[in-house]
Amino acid sequence: MTFLLGSFLGFAALSFVLGKILVLLPEPIGSRSDLFVEGAKVTLLITLNSALIGLVLGVLMGLARGSPRAWLRAPALAYIWLIRGTPVLVQIMFVFYALPVLVPQLQLDEFWAASIALGLNVGAYNAEVIRAGIQAVPQGQTEAARSLGLSNVSTLRWIVLPQAIRIVVPPLVNNIVALLKDSSLASAIGLLELTLAGNRISSETFLPVPVLTTVAALYLIYTTAITIVTTLLERMMKLRAHV
Amino acid sequence: MSEVLLSIRALHKSYGSFHVLKGIDLDVKTKEVLCVVGPSGSGKSSFIRSINQLEPYQSGEVRLHGHLIDSNMNIDKIRQEIGMVFQSFNLFPHLTVLENLTLAPMRVRGLSAQQAKAKALELLRRVNIVEQKDKYPSKLSGGQQQRVAIARALAMEPKIMLFDEPTSALDPEMISEVLNVMKDLAKSGMTMIVVTHEMGFAREVADRVIFMDGGLIVEDTTPDEFFTSPKHPRSQLFLSQILAR
Repeated sequence: MTFLLGSFLGFAALSFVLGKILVLLPEPIGSRSDLFVEGAKVTLLITLNSALIGLVLGVLMGLARGSPRAWLRAPALAYIWLIRGTPVLVQIMFVFYALPVLVPQLQLDEFWAASIALGLNVGAYNAEVIRAGIQAVPQGQTEAARSLGLSNVSTLRWIVLPQAIRIVVPPLVNNIVALLKDSSLASAIGLLELTLAGNRISSETFLPVPVLTTVAALYLIYTTAITIVTTLLERMMKLRAHV
Repeated sequence: MSEVLLSIRALHKSYGSFHVLKGIDLDVKTKEVLCVVGPSGSGKSSFIRSINQLEPYQSGEVRLHGHLIDSNMNIDKIRQEIGMVFQSFNLFPHLTVLENLTLAPMRVRGLSAQQAKAKALELLRRVNIVEQKDKYPSKLSGGQQQRVAIARALAMEPKIMLFDEPTSALDPEMISEVLNVMKDLAKSGMTMIVVTHEMGFAREVADRVIFMDGGLIVEDTTPDEFFTSPKHPRSQLFLSQILAR
């Protein structure tokens, strides 16, 4: 928990520093740094939102997907099949444009439409990762726990999941890195995130090279930061696990 | 005469078309120590794993204290009474030795942390490994891990202990430390069923030797009888093969 809070503050600090650096850059970056900063903030926030939605969905669907009960497995399979078989851009547009037509109550703004669509998307990929992680815990662990009288749920909670978490963290983070990059597709529904911000500045100034280079550099800095945080997290877990 | 603790009737089990257990009948009395021996593939492991429903079986019944064990009843309840030790130890790698012992008593029996810890320390002393209590399983030798596994099963205060080839995965020099713990346990009056290839142990500790072959109990007799004058030709063949080594 402290680690999560620490990384969150780390990202906030990183964004603050990047903002200060952007102001100092020559034209056309320095004068428009506020728009870059605003875009980066939106990009990070939809990534955070959809990562959380995707984590919850991934755990639930991953468990359901590996369940011996068909009535749990079937909806999870359908969800994963649907999401992985359609483009994420179509999913974002569907949630923003088509969903309100089908269900008028679900009139979402650009920000929440993108967060939810991306969350649904990454949830399907997370579900497969989590199912694989659970299956990677040796069967003997479950047998030992059950033969001590632990229930199915207790075995999952105290024996299987704690061991599966160590297996699933690296691939889950890969999914978050992919998510951060995919969030640029939210520009298609007019959400002013980093890519759309860059696109606007680029067309206003007719200087695509410095502007789009800055946009790409910002994505690269954030994805690299995520990877570094994960490497630290993995090292910490290894120290604690002794396995 | 002591009472019958575990009673097994007409147990049949198949993996698909392969019939592994072809009708097992067995009564085990309180404080009895049974060693189950036999060639590999004879169904020994399937048999012992069927007792607490780790392996589902197609027909037959198992009763503990007269209570039928089947998949419809609260199986978690009955498993608390049946301790199980595995060939591959199956300690929980993410928990310390002490936590391995306290988890089930706290989560299942509802013991407080202090009660569970006190009990765990007593058991770890009994299996001579208390100084390793704060280590993780991967830091222990195979023999030490198996002694912890025995203590973990004992922490639930089972009525009967099942051992599924407890020394088969061990290096030779570690076998005796585990067998000694099991001998002490037998002396203390624990009811035990031990699937084993350790004929010396069977001869010294067992009250009865159960010889299985082809999914059936072929011979059920005292160790003296079994090792000096086995009746069935298949027992004779098995013993001659083992002693020829």
